[in-house]
Amino acid sequence: MESLPTFAKEPPTDDDEAITRSLAGDLDAYEVLVARYSVLAHRTAAMLGAADEAEDVVQEAFVKAYRHLASFRRDAHFRPWLLRIVANETHNLTRSRGRRDRLTVRLTEVVPPPGEGPEEAAVATDLRARLLDAVRTLPERERESVVCRYFLQLSEAETAQVLDLPVGTVKSRTSRGLARLREEVARDLT
Amino acid sequence: MTSPDDLEARLLALGESIDVPSPPPDDVARAVRARLRSQLAPAASAPDSGTPDPEAPAAPGSPVPESPVPEAPAVPGSPVPETRTPEAPAVPGGPRVLRRAWETLRDGGRVRRRAVVAAVAILTALLLGATPAGRAAVAEILRFAGVELRIGGPGPLPSGVPQPLPGERRVTLEQAREQVAFPVSVPAALGDPAEVRVSDGGRVVSLFWPGVRLDEYDGSLHLVFRKELGPPWPEDAGVGAVKAQWIPAHHGLTYLPRSGGRAEVRPRPAGPTLIWQRGRVGLRLEGVGELGRAQEIARSVR
Repeated sequence: MESLPTFAKEPPTDDDEAITRSLAGDLDAYEVLVARYSVLAHRTAAMLGAADEAEDVVQEAFVKAYRHLASFRRDAHFRPWLLRIVANETHNLTRSRGRRDRLTVRLTEVVPPPGEGPEEAAVATDLRARLLDAVRTLPERERESVVCRYFLQLSEAETAQVLDLPVGTVKSRTSRGLARLREEVARDLT
Repeated sequence: MTSPDDLEARLLALGESIDVPSPPPDDVARAVRARLRSQLAPAASAPDSGTPDPEAPAAPGSPVPESPVPEAPAVPGSPVPETRTPEAPAVPGGPRVLRRAWETLRDGGRVRRRAVVAAVAILTALLLGATPAGRAAVAEILRFAGVELRIGGPGPLPSGVPQPLPGERRVTLEQAREQVAFPVSVPAALGDPAEVRVSDGGRVVSLFWPGVRLDEYDGSLHLVFRKELGPPWPEDAGVGAVKAQWIPAHHGLTYLPRSGGRAEVRPRPAGPTLIWQRGRVGLRLEGVGELGRAQEIARSVR
């Protein structure tokens, strides 16, 4: 065991350092990386349809990411690279279950701003629930792009990487999705 | 009517209001590490003694396989092992944090883990039940210790002055013990109640301290209370080894009289509540705002 390198006790401060140390076998450094992206990874898995298996999907994705860390291009960003693995794991899961993946999330309560009562908050909550329904019923391809762009707040380039699509395709799917949502919303309000 | 920017802004806002529960990052990190360890060093690193060393997780400078912690399962799909320390930072601070986590684990930090599992369970139930309407509506009903929890869209809290329970009478503790068919217990942590009341022909005993109320009832057969709540969601807590539900937020509370729905008491707003069961007696402790303190009181019930 004395051949093991010793590492600085401080946690790595940025992704690059954490990756370098992880590649050298420093599991402490990898833990930092996992903790840093855990919430986003769970969010991604849940929103792409992993439902109650998001935890397992995420852990497996982190395990795979560790194993393939050597193939990670060091001039790239870790976030979309990791999320692509999460998205792949989620797809594998939903496919293996033979179940259509669903957008499976819940809404938090609208906190009424000062001066507004619970009625206004209820209306706002209802409007959001309707919009969420509309997103849920989008065709899968459009929905995934919309979810990545707006719910996960990824850039077009990141979305393209996560979904393994050309940027142009992300653009067109997103705008088709938005157009469909606009129709839905308009129908809902009239 | 809906400009592009407006829709995009609404989508962004919607995304931010979507709550995806995830386990504490440190737990995930440890679970991933356990999986990696089990795959990277299979069997080879069996511990040379069967005795778990509590200090092992805190041993500094041993980044790669420590002796496997018996607690840490590497089975896929199993709940995240270990626990989180409430004050632990998102980024682990090294051995100290690990040691703290270990101590929390020993000190019953498992409660936290259960809370995480519960949050996920509720989420799943919501998903299956909430669509396609997905509107503010009851999405999940939990029945526990004589209490029905209706979890869903947050309705407005009931207002108005709380009504007494049917036939509510002020009694002494001794009288209460004579008048009800179940053992009446008192939490030592609160001392003697300032007031004791028996309601509905001995179905419920309520003990009062300033700002705190403890209802005891036969919770084994019938529903006695109904609670309507939105987020934050109830959590699986524990009172010693006994399961409990912690409702952290204000919520609507309705008493369901023995006579059935006819004489249902108007709902009233209720504060944070811990619900648990002792034998066949259901207990609901209301008014203690902090889970740890509520559990402490609950554990002191004699």
